[in-house]
Amino acid sequence: MYVRFDHPRTLDNLINNFLATDTAISRSVFPAVDIMEQEGQTTVIAELPGVKKEDVKIEFENAVLKISGERKPYELPENARVVLNELNVRKFNRSIQFEHDIDASKISADLTNGILKIVLQKSETAKTRTVEVK
Amino acid sequence: MENKKNTAVVRACCNAMIPGAEGFEMIVCPAADIYETQDAFIVELDMPGLNKESITVTADARILSVSSAQTNEGTENGELLVNEIGKKRYQREFHLGTGIKLGEIHAEYCDGVLLVTLPKADEVKARQINIQ
Repeated sequence: MYVRFDHPRTLDNLINNFLATDTAISRSVFPAVDIMEQEGQTTVIAELPGVKKEDVKIEFENAVLKISGERKPYELPENARVVLNELNVRKFNRSIQFEHDIDASKISADLTNGILKIVLQKSETAKTRTVEVK
Repeated sequence: MENKKNTAVVRACCNAMIPGAEGFEMIVCPAADIYETQDAFIVELDMPGLNKESITVTADARILSVSSAQTNEGTENGELLVNEIGKKRYQREFHLGTGIKLGEIHAEYCDGVLLVTLPKADEVKARQINIQ
């Protein structure tokens, strides 16, 4: 399978990745994802710390998986002063293009401890089949 | 500490340059927000992919230290096509000023965010002074 992103990897991005801080400001692409492929199944894992289940929207249309939503800021008591502000509190949106057929009715998603896990199944027609030669 | 930082950078570089170098353990510094309220300092850290048992928070008179075991996400079998997260350990230290009630520091982990509350000692709290 081949996966293409809506944001190309620029040189800036590569340099930022070299500096090993995890401060989300240094990341132009948010959320960060891992994508794994197993037998007939693709797993997308996205880091969404501080995001509530109800604030994430997952759509799948025309072989594009779109993860969007909003991270709501921590509710501060009155008269609070900000000492340090590095967290990425904002709206996010990321699209992942799939090349093969995905069975849209079998997509499942789960958000636990800030990790969103989406499991996509290949549709029956897209699975590799061995054809016997007669 | 400095030594650990260097190791982390080297490992991160290796991970970026050598495809499939998943064996390297990466130590990353979690992003943080700090707020000061009338009664306490609140530190909020992004540490997704852990459970609360694998996080260690320690504090002495000078340093608040937060660290974790390795995250377990992304360890499943299968061909890894995109690796932006990977396995990592979190580690970060904050220098504390005086006037923190060390015995009353508490921490909670929710939705991948660690929230540490450092209550202020009574003598450093801002208070209103009545004019007589």
